[in-house]
Amino acid sequence: MRKRRHRWLDHTSEVQLHVEAESLAGLAAEAGRALSLLLLHDMPARPEGPAREIQVESVDREALLVDWLNEILFLAEVERWVAVEFDVLEISSVHLKASALGVPVAESPALVKAATFHGLAVEERAGGLQAEVIFDV
Amino acid sequence: MSRKERKARAHPPKSQTGNRPPAPPKAPPPAYPSVRLSPNLVEIPITARGDMNVPARVWADEELWKQISRDRTLHQLINVSTLPGITGTAQAMPDAHEGYGFPVGGVAAFRARDGIISPGGVGYDINCGVRLLASEIMADELGHPRLESLIQELGRAIPSGTGKGSHLRFAGEDLDRVLAEGCTYLAERGLATAEDLDTIEARGSLATADPRAVSDRARQRGGDQLGSIGSGNHFVEVQRVEKLFDLAAAEALRLRVGQVVILIHTGSRGLGHQVCTDYVRAMDAVMARHGIQLPDRELACAPFGSPEGQKYFGAMCAAANFAFSNRQAITWAAREVFRKALGGQGGLRLIYDVAHNMAKLERHGEEDLVVHRKGATRAFGPSHPETPAIYKGIGQPVLIPGSMGTASYVLVGTDEGFDLSYGSTCHGAGRAMSRTAAKKVQSGAEVRKGLEDRGIVVRASVGELAEEAPYAYKDVDRVVEVVHQAGLARKVARLVPLGVIKG
Repeated sequence: MRKRRHRWLDHTSEVQLHVEAESLAGLAAEAGRALSLLLLHDMPARPEGPAREIQVESVDREALLVDWLNEILFLAEVERWVAVEFDVLEISSVHLKASALGVPVAESPALVKAATFHGLAVEERAGGLQAEVIFDV
Repeated sequence: MSRKERKARAHPPKSQTGNRPPAPPKAPPPAYPSVRLSPNLVEIPITARGDMNVPARVWADEELWKQISRDRTLHQLINVSTLPGITGTAQAMPDAHEGYGFPVGGVAAFRARDGIISPGGVGYDINCGVRLLASEIMADELGHPRLESLIQELGRAIPSGTGKGSHLRFAGEDLDRVLAEGCTYLAERGLATAEDLDTIEARGSLATADPRAVSDRARQRGGDQLGSIGSGNHFVEVQRVEKLFDLAAAEALRLRVGQVVILIHTGSRGLGHQVCTDYVRAMDAVMARHGIQLPDRELACAPFGSPEGQKYFGAMCAAANFAFSNRQAITWAAREVFRKALGGQGGLRLIYDVAHNMAKLERHGEEDLVVHRKGATRAFGPSHPETPAIYKGIGQPVLIPGSMGTASYVLVGTDEGFDLSYGSTCHGAGRAMSRTAAKKVQSGAEVRKGLEDRGIVVRASVGELAEEAPYAYKDVDRVVEVVHQAGLARKVARLVPLGVIKG
């Protein structure tokens, strides 16, 4: 079983994610996995079907993380497809391209309105990076 | 994926012991100096933090002040007070709590000539709001078996849940007209009456809407959701008028003790969420060009008069028209159910529909202001030109939904409140406990049983119930009393739930 490197912090009205990884690519993948668990109500899902490419461009690495998570949300709500496994193919502080495997869902999964910029931080830590993102739910 | 799993609502998944990173300490909320101005009002002086442009004010008694001070509400309110062009005071209503960007329950007014507009000051659920329908039947006449049947039928007719759409389909040019004209277009389609339009904020149609400013992604995300409740704290509740406080105002609203009413609480669904996402991103990218520096990136904003500011305003108004239309489409479905079930007694009269997540261009004194209300209800008094003609004698109805299973309130706006709080009040009870903490108190099944033991008919997923349990919120009676005592609005009626439909 893959080690989870994220946890959820207490917030009065929303949900706040803390995530850690060795690299920016790892951070994006782990944040994506955390979001998929949030969307699927913490039910691990076996991916089905072909991989899809997800690509985002942003102004800096904090915005990149928010845009990446919002793209996953958009696909979940509109395409009825929740990405659960991620292979980050290309990444810089303003560009991310990943291949993702996911699960189709008959109706939109759990409601997450958006990943927000509030309290957003991507910071260096011993052995890698950590980030916090608040989701509006 | 099973039906049970599909219906489960977002909540923080359980962390797994032994394979998680160490718990990072969450910084405690900063302490700020404050002075109590009255039993229901506290001020944080402009000197409390070096970057404040105006003082901050919190409408709260001693108990609510304690609750509001526990999380980062005050920190977020002070962040708002730093925004360019803010005037008067940054305010928090008595139901305020920590949000993102603005606190929930936040009110701030910015000069239109040199101030900003901020998508984060409106939030992702643009024109989340409430409408109240009055039936012609008394709760005693209805009886429990017919109530149960009505709740089930309403649940079938009004989709709830995360991404669920309704039986109505508005696409292409139809959707453009919903975005541009709101309830006026629904009236043309036979889904609203002329009387309905008279009793909706702005007649359910903001002329400043610009459908061209709404992205294809926003249309894709929410275009098929008109006529649906959604999830989270949104609901349709069948209620009974329990108590009247102001008989003259109640008579003007044609409310009687024992009467069955319906409260609808929802907003612009996925379409509004995406509009906010699009414009927070767009404004984040252009703030440097406008020379704006912020203490919090979620407050991303642009000068109201700038092309970016005007484009967001047009898109937000279009999403607001969608939300007004959403509540109207739900009304249409509820009317069908009531008519079939109750025949001649099945009429549902719209008392009022009011937004509580919106930025409005309003005249205050000699200045045009862009008033942001995020989790705060507009409450105009009897003499305000926008108060509907039939309510000129009493003030605009203000609808305050309580937490699930508790009371809701009907109030009316006051002329005094226009000066005190930019014509704003609370929007609900306001969360006091995180979702995680709420679920530790009782399971969803226990919450359901508690409600059913009190005779309340519940149609909701169990996963949803624990997070939205009554104890997760502040005491709505106390919150409303502060609003009433402070003169921001006047109590008219207390409503208690008979049945609830949630996602």
